[in-house]
This record gives sequence, structure tokens and C-alpha cells, in this order.
Amino acid sequence: MIQVDGLHKLYGDFPAVQGLSFSVGGGEVLGLVGPNGAGKTTTIRSIAGIIIPTSGRIEVAGHDLKADPVAAKGALAFIPDEPHLFEYLTVEEHLRFVARLYRLGDVGPRIPGLLAELDLSDKRHALPGELSRGMKQKLAIACGLLHDPKALLLDEPLTGLDPVGIRRMKSTIMRRAAEGTAVILSSHLLHLVEEICTRVLVMQRGRAVAFGSIPEILAERPDLRSRKLEDVFLALIGQGGDAGQP
Amino acid sequence: MIEVFGYLTWRSARNRIVRQLRQLRSPRYLAALLLGLAYLWFVVIGQRPTTSATATVDPKVLELIGASALFGAVAWGWIFGVERRVLAFSPAEVTFLFSGPVSRQGLIQFKLLRTQLLILFNALLWTLILSRERFGVSAWLRVISIWVMLTTLSFHRLGASFVRTSLSEHGRLGARHRSVSLVVLGAFLVALVWSIADALPELVAARQQAGSNFLTAMAAAFDRPLARVLTYPFRIMIRPLAAHSMAEWLASLWPALLLMVLHYVWVVRSDTAFEEAAAEASLQRATAMASGGISVPATGQRPRRALIRLSASGWPAGAILWKNLMAATRTRRMRSTAVSLALAGVVVAVLSFDPEGTLAEAAGWLALFWAGLMVISGPQYVRNDLRGDLLKLDLLRSYPLRGWSVVLAEAGASTLMLTLIQVALLGLSYLAFLGNQTLYPGLEERTLLLLLSLVFLPPINLLGMLIQNGAALLYPAWVRVGAGRPGGVEILGQNLLMVIAFALLLGLTLIIPAALGGGSYLLLRPGIGDWAMLPSAGLALLAMGYEASWMVEWLGGLFERTDPVAAGITT
Repeated sequence: MIQVDGLHKLYGDFPAVQGLSFSVGGGEVLGLVGPNGAGKTTTIRSIAGIIIPTSGRIEVAGHDLKADPVAAKGALAFIPDEPHLFEYLTVEEHLRFVARLYRLGDVGPRIPGLLAELDLSDKRHALPGELSRGMKQKLAIACGLLHDPKALLLDEPLTGLDPVGIRRMKSTIMRRAAEGTAVILSSHLLHLVEEICTRVLVMQRGRAVAFGSIPEILAERPDLRSRKLEDVFLALIGQGGDAGQP
Repeated sequence: MIEVFGYLTWRSARNRIVRQLRQLRSPRYLAALLLGLAYLWFVVIGQRPTTSATATVDPKVLELIGASALFGAVAWGWIFGVERRVLAFSPAEVTFLFSGPVSRQGLIQFKLLRTQLLILFNALLWTLILSRERFGVSAWLRVISIWVMLTTLSFHRLGASFVRTSLSEHGRLGARHRSVSLVVLGAFLVALVWSIADALPELVAARQQAGSNFLTAMAAAFDRPLARVLTYPFRIMIRPLAAHSMAEWLASLWPALLLMVLHYVWVVRSDTAFEEAAAEASLQRATAMASGGISVPATGQRPRRALIRLSASGWPAGAILWKNLMAATRTRRMRSTAVSLALAGVVVAVLSFDPEGTLAEAAGWLALFWAGLMVISGPQYVRNDLRGDLLKLDLLRSYPLRGWSVVLAEAGASTLMLTLIQVALLGLSYLAFLGNQTLYPGLEERTLLLLLSLVFLPPINLLGMLIQNGAALLYPAWVRVGAGRPGGVEILGQNLLMVIAFALLLGLTLIIPAALGGGSYLLLRPGIGDWAMLPSAGLALLAMGYEASWMVEWLGGLFERTDPVAAGITT
């Protein structure tokens, strides 16, 4: 569903991403983990078509992002960590706006159900300025999921959500994956990655330092087998030392 | 504490300039800088005095015009309270300074210090712009004179904003707190009305005679004892500019400096009102930044029902156009403008049938002038387009739309709004002259001109908006994206230069359509008479359409290639 081949991104002389290749099939959840500045957000934003890669090829749902960006973007949804909303559109108007952009036809009948699912029914006519951060995040997620994307890209998806929101977000991601959506999420929350990701891509200085399911990664590094996930992660990025050694 | 503020101001300004200069590694930015320098050079050279050294501007005329302009700026500040932007603190400033061991007076001093950089830069620009006029002692002294004038004006409008905030927040209690300011203001207004009523008969008599008599009568009216007292503060702000010798300049500078210091004391002592006004302005700034620079409604304010409904099907980028129009219809300023124009239209239409009809006529000419001026100034101020949305570039780029359709929708929204305002103004002007039987062109020709404006204004405005949006896309690190509209008396010089540069570019863009339209009219007229207007207008429209489509296509490609991080677009 998502295919990345030889992705490079340079900012001036600085390599943000170097030769990254991976694929995510329908129903898979790939977790991008790595320290700050590892290139996770650059990778996600390149797949979303926001950043233009210096070189490499990206394909979403069979559409080459460079050759056919409209079809590729039409098949994906990108949900950033900070909800970007238009201050002069109400909650309902945001949904209608997105429906028109993605040629979804009349979504009017679907709106009450969607809003009820997100606990936003009584905020239907509210402007973003009246919403809490968590509500804004929910609205951004609803806008992203409205067109039933085949590929879902989430950058730090749990930022700003309360415990109920976190649980709902996790179940949404897993349900979407179960329905066949390819999901990529970047997160610093290792327990989230462990809980919902089928595979993990560990990045360090723009390169992949480990890729696969957690058992696969541990199989390649027998020395880390008995350690906690946090220690495994630190060891993979070269910050491990002896901390956390059982 | 002043050293800390100085450090913050200096380092921020320095780092900002360094960051902007780094962009010069890009040939696009370097070319723009060279063009800008050439433009400034042209302004300086072009403005070199061509008249003899003895030809000077009459100080009295300068004083009269200058004092009137300053009075207008001050009155505007009291009526509209436009200096809020000076009070707006950035989120970082709120975090570090409001919660830090900094007094309110210290915060005011910090904001005033920051404004000084802008004022100094604009004082230099004004000196360049006005260098043809042979008044003042020398260029450097003129910079100081303009700096004193702009600083005083800025302080005054800031103080006025405090009084307004105090009154609107606390009503009677606020009025008591600001009693001294209000008594002074009240006394000034009473004296002003008295003074105008006193001079009105002479002014009306002069108005009915030749034009120069009116200016003389105005000067005489300003010379009356009460008027002299009322306009004294404005005159002393202007006088250093009109001085012809060092001694004269020094003698006229100290009262202006004293006035500036008095204003400083007035503003710095306004700490309570400042806190409220600053909090409100900072909140507005923060929400405006989050919304891509468009001023947002207050929290808790219910949005109006959508004036335009978005249909479920159609051109996908139409959703962006609709979004921008919705933002405009939900702006209080836009709504009050629409209501005012509608009311004014009814009033002037009724007044136009009055046999005297002076008031309607004046309103008609004013509306006509304003509509024309908006062709040049409008695209800089109507900014519900890419300039507002570029801070949300991430979001725009993730939409399944081609770049050209985003650019067209964004620029189209601003074009539509600007055209609506202009058409309303032209309609107002049309109504104002409706009952006028003597005016040339006659009613039929005026109707035809109004209809022609409906056809020509949209493509002209679209070209203007594409130039403005193109500048934002080409130079996002230099052009103000988001964060509201450029404005304020401090940066009037900058805005003036930008408007002139824009007018030149728009003029260049319109050369080919005008040449094609005009040329074909001249060719065809001998054969088909006035009917030649139709194919000529069609040809001009076609040329503008071709230019616009080329620009949309090119800017669309640019939009698709713009990297938000590399371009320095950060939220």
C-alpha cells in the first residue's frame, strides 16, 4: 500500500533522511521511532507529499506520488501532531469542506453519526476557538478519516489527548488497520508502539538502524533479548550503555 | 531591566536580518535584493531636487497640511483604536516576560523600544521619499524630525488605545480611572466643534468661489486664536520639518521633544489599562497566528450562519475559495463595511435628487476615488488568500489538489472580495449622481461605464492578487505571511514603497492587454465606429485571461515545489 524506495532528503548540506526504503502493506501498522532529529517527521511528511524528497520514489496505493500526486494524496490521510484547523469554519463546516476536497459527495447524513462518535455533537456549530485542544485533535482526526483513506499517516497521534481520547485513538488506529488501511505512525511513546504496531522502523540520523517486528529485531540482536523495550531502543540508537541491564 | 530588553530587541533584530540575508544564497532572493536596491536608488535619484535651492515649500502651507494629516491620524486612533498591534506580545514574550520579574511599566518600555526600530527605519524611508521637497535643514536633521513626529504619534495612538480599552472593559469605573485623559479629550472636542462652527460661514463662502480662496480661508480659519490653540500640538510636531536654519530647527525641536516626553509619561503611567489591552491583543495575536494570520472572533462568540453554502459536488478547490469567503463574511470589519456601504447607498441616492446635492456629489466623488485607489492598494490589504494560508502550507500540500487549482482558488477568493467592495463603491458613486442631470458623462454613459467595470475589474484584480500571492510564494522568508495585515502609522513609509512597487508591476502586466485593446480600437473605429469597443474589450480581456492563466500555472508549479522547511515557513 505504501512503498518507499531510496528516500533521500537534504536540507542544504544536512542529510535529514538517507536512503530509506521500506513498505507497509494493507492492515499493517508501522511505528517510526527514533530520537529527536532522526528524520521521522521528514519521512512522514515526504510520504504525505508535503516535502519534496531530494531523491527516491514513493508510491501510495499504487500511485506514484511524484507522477500522480492528486491520486496518491486522495488515497492517504495525514494527521499532524498539532491540529491545523481553519478558525472561521465550524466543526460541521470542516467536515463538509474536506468532503468537497476529496469528492465525497453529500456527507450530510453521515455527519451526526461522526460527531456523536467523537463526542462533538454539541459542538457542531462551534468554531475551533471554542474547542479544547483534545477536541481540536479529534476534529482533525475526523477530517482525516472522512474519506476512508487507504494509507494513514500519524505524527505523534496521542499528543494532547486525555486518557479516554488516547484509548479511542488507539482503537481507531487498530480498527482502521483491521479494515485494511496501511498505517504509519511516528511516536516517542514506546509502549504505544509496542501495543499497536505490527512492525517498527528505528531511525537514527536519517537512516534505518532496525526494521521489522519487535521479535524480528530482537532475533537479530540476541544481546538485547532480555532487556526492556526502552533499553532495546536506546541500545539500537547507540545510547544504551549498561543502563537497565537486568 | 532596560539592558535585558535592549539585548532581546537587538539580538532578535540581528538574528532575523542574518536569517533573511542567508536567503541570498538563493539566486531568486539575490535578484530580488538587487532589484529592490535599484528601486530604492531610483527613488533617491528620481527624487533629487530639480528646482533651485531657493524654491521652498511655504512653511505655513506645510504646517497646515501636516497638522491636518496628523489630526486625521490621531482622530483615527481615537475612533478605531488601531494601535493594538503595538501591544501584542508573542507567545514567547508572554511566557518569559509576563511570568518573569518584570513590572508593567517595564513591559511597556519593552514594547516601545521594539517599535523604535521600525520607526527609525521608516523615518529614513520618509526622508528618502520626501527628498525632492526642499524643506528642512538637512537630510539627517530631517530624519530626527520625522522620528520625533512618528514616535509622538505612535505614543499618542497607544495612549488612546489604553483609554478605549479601559472604557470598554470597565465602563464607569474605567472612566473614573481615566478621568484626566477624558477631561482633556472632552475639552478638546468641545473646543473643536466651537472652532469649526465659528469658521464655517467663511469656509462655505470660500467654497462657492474659486479653489485657491478655499485654501486661504482654511489657513485663516486655522489662524483664529482657538484653532491655533487646538492645532498647536500638531503644529509643533511639524515645525522641525519646516525649519530653514540650524537655530530655527533647534528652537522648534525642543517643544516637539517635550511633547514626545509628555506622551511617553502618559503611556508609561497607563499600566492597568496596558495589562488589559496587552492581554487582549496578545490573545488576538496568538489566535491569529494559529489561524494563519486572519483575525479571529472572540472566544464564545457564536459564528453567523453560513452566507454561502458549499455544494457537495463541483470543483474540489472550490472548497478553498468558499473557506476564504466564509472567513471574510465572518469578520466583523467586513460585515460593518457591507452594512455601511448599503446604508450610504440609500442615503446618497435620496440626497442626489436634492437640488443642491453637494453632499451626495462629494460622497460620489469620494466613492469613485476610493474604488479606483483600491485597484492599487486593495490587493495589499485584502489578504484572505495564500498570504494568510501559507502558515498552513503543510495542510494545503496534503490535499489532493494540483498546485494551480490551489493558487487559483486562493487568489480567486481575494479577487472576488476586492471586486465586490469596488463594485459597491462604484454603485454608491452611481447612485450619488443619479439625480444629477448636468454631469458629463451622462446617465447612459455612466451606466455603460459601470457595466464595463464589472467586466474589467475581476481580471485586473485577479492579476493584482496573483502578483501579491506570487511574491508570498517566491519570497516567503521576506514577505509577511499570516500574522495579519501590514499597517500602522510607523510603517507607512514601507507600505507606500510597496504600493508603488506593486503599481509598477501591475502596470507592466497591463501593458500588453491595454496595447492590444487600444490598438485594435484605433484600427477598427474608422470602419465600425463605436462598435469597435466590443472586439477591443474582448481582445484586452483575452490577453488578461492568458496572462492570468500563465501566472496561475507557473505559481501552481512553484506551490508544488515549495518546501515549507527550506522556505522558512514555520508556524
